Amino acid sequence: MGFLEIQNLHVSVGGKEIIKGINLSLDAGRTAIIFGPNGSGKSTLLGTLAGLPGYEITKGSITFKGQDLTKLSIDERSRLGIGLSYQYPPAIKGVRLQTLLDNLSNDSDLIASRAESLNLTNHLCRDVNVGFSGGERKRSEVLQLMLQNPDLMLFDEPESGVDIENISVIAQAVRIMLEKDKPISKRSKSAIIITHTGFILDYIKADIAFVIMDGHVLGCGAPGEIFEEIKQDGYKNCASCFADKFQEIITGDE
Amino acid sequence: MNIPSIDSQRLIDIGYDSDIASCGNFMVLDHTILNQSSKIEGLQVIPLAQAFEIYPHVREKLFFNLVSADKNEFTKMASQADPVGYYVRVEEGVKIEEPLQAAFLFGTHGSTQLIHNIIELCDGAELNIVNGCTTAAHNHKGTHIGITETYLGKGSHLGYTMLHNWGNEIEVFPVGAVQVGEEARYISNYVAMTTVKKIVSYPVAYVERGASARFYSIIFARQGAYFDTGAMAVLAGEDAGGEIISRVVSEGGTVISRQMLSGNVPGTIGHMECSGLLLDENGVIHSIPELRGEHPDINLSHEAAVGKISSKELSYLMTRGLTEEQARSLIIRGFLDLKIEGLPAKVQALVDEIIERSIEGSI
Repeated sequence: MGFLEIQNLHVSVGGKEIIKGINLSLDAGRTAIIFGPNGSGKSTLLGTLAGLPGYEITKGSITFKGQDLTKLSIDERSRLGIGLSYQYPPAIKGVRLQTLLDNLSNDSDLIASRAESLNLTNHLCRDVNVGFSGGERKRSEVLQLMLQNPDLMLFDEPESGVDIENISVIAQAVRIMLEKDKPISKRSKSAIIITHTGFILDYIKADIAFVIMDGHVLGCGAPGEIFEEIKQDGYKNCASCFADKFQEIITGDE
Repeated sequence: MNIPSIDSQRLIDIGYDSDIASCGNFMVLDHTILNQSSKIEGLQVIPLAQAFEIYPHVREKLFFNLVSADKNEFTKMASQADPVGYYVRVEEGVKIEEPLQAAFLFGTHGSTQLIHNIIELCDGAELNIVNGCTTAAHNHKGTHIGITETYLGKGSHLGYTMLHNWGNEIEVFPVGAVQVGEEARYISNYVAMTTVKKIVSYPVAYVERGASARFYSIIFARQGAYFDTGAMAVLAGEDAGGEIISRVVSEGGTVISRQMLSGNVPGTIGHMECSGLLLDENGVIHSIPELRGEHPDINLSHEAAVGKISSKELSYLMTRGLTEEQARSLIIRGFLDLKIEGLPAKVQALVDEIIERSIEGSI
């Protein structure tokens, strides 16, 4: 059994089927990119993995580290090693970012240094996401994830709404989290990253990319090549590149 | 005299704490004054009856002046009894940093406690009062009636923190009125975290030119508790300001939160907020915000929201590994964390600690 195995996953939101039979697997230490047009089911997939309410699994299975993920609550999944960086994190009035981070790590020096590396030192005394700009929210998400230190990181558009300067700040943090400076065989942290702009690909070398359309995985391949095709021909034409629409996907390195 | 022993923790829970530096003390058990002291020149802390002898104007001009003796059955009852309570006076220009600690203890089962306090700050004076009310034991039954008339001279500043820690068989009827003189500042900070049978309170501030009155309240209504509380600020002078903010959590109790701002002269600005969090389906939070404008050049506003803990916030914290219980507790603590501008750090820390202690173990 692999690190993450998703088999024939069907997910409905509000009674409407959004994910329509996805197969996807990922090994430990690998980074996957997910491309797909708006409404294709990318965020639903990450929300389902994290166990967020409102995502109803109607069919299929998800196993993570050999455990049936669907039977676990949100916090149990988190403690098992799943971490989500939200696309639109909520603001929580009255709860200071520092207080939340203190719940994630006992190491106050680590909290301070990580916050500094993400230019968030002055935000520690502020309420979580209250009055934060889009970019600040994304950096705060990455900061929280850094301290949570999960084995599988789910990034939902980590660079959207972030200015160029801060994209590199975020990307650098993600590189550290994913142990990109270690040889491939020594890495243990994995990630699934949703990106629209592809900017993050300039900084982070991903192992594989999946294209999701209308709730299906159309295919997978080298992230750079797929992104070039999408940029050139759009998602519609990209879909035709994948001859076998519902093939079973595995990570490409085996 | 038979004085029942008082649990020191109950005193600490209403801010009457000998570990905290204070400028003076006042303590009443039922109708007996147990303690009165002032450590600062220019500060008087004496029984009201004594003040009548020393300062004739107190009886003639201040006593049942802002609060009418005929206002309701409780004020009528109080007006017919010998007044028990404090007279606090700060002389002109005297600014006092350490808070004055006052405690009103209810000690006789089945009785009615009648308290009447008068506070007078002369021009430019500054004072903070931490006023606590509690029962000597948890299981007492009875009624507490507390009248407070406050007079703030020109440019003076009063921070008035009221901590309630009653029992579930006590009915409480505080009646308060404040005259906020020109350019004076009044901050009221009301905290009720423990159970009570009933509290009805609606203090009124009359705010003169350039002055401000701010009322903050934090209420945690447990099963069976009934609160009908709020505040009213009459912005009577040009450029007067008013703010009324309440944070209410109901764990099964009922809270009627009344707020009124009235502006009738140019330049007055007022804002109010009532945020309510319902933790239990038996709880009721009824927010009644009222604005009354009588001049076009005023600016009055309000915000109110009542609801349960947001499931999105809850699941957000749970994705970080917090259990549902931990996440709820963090959100509730945050909701009640009201930082009050102008309140001395020591008093704020005291209030924070009392809130934290009463949340702990109850959520």
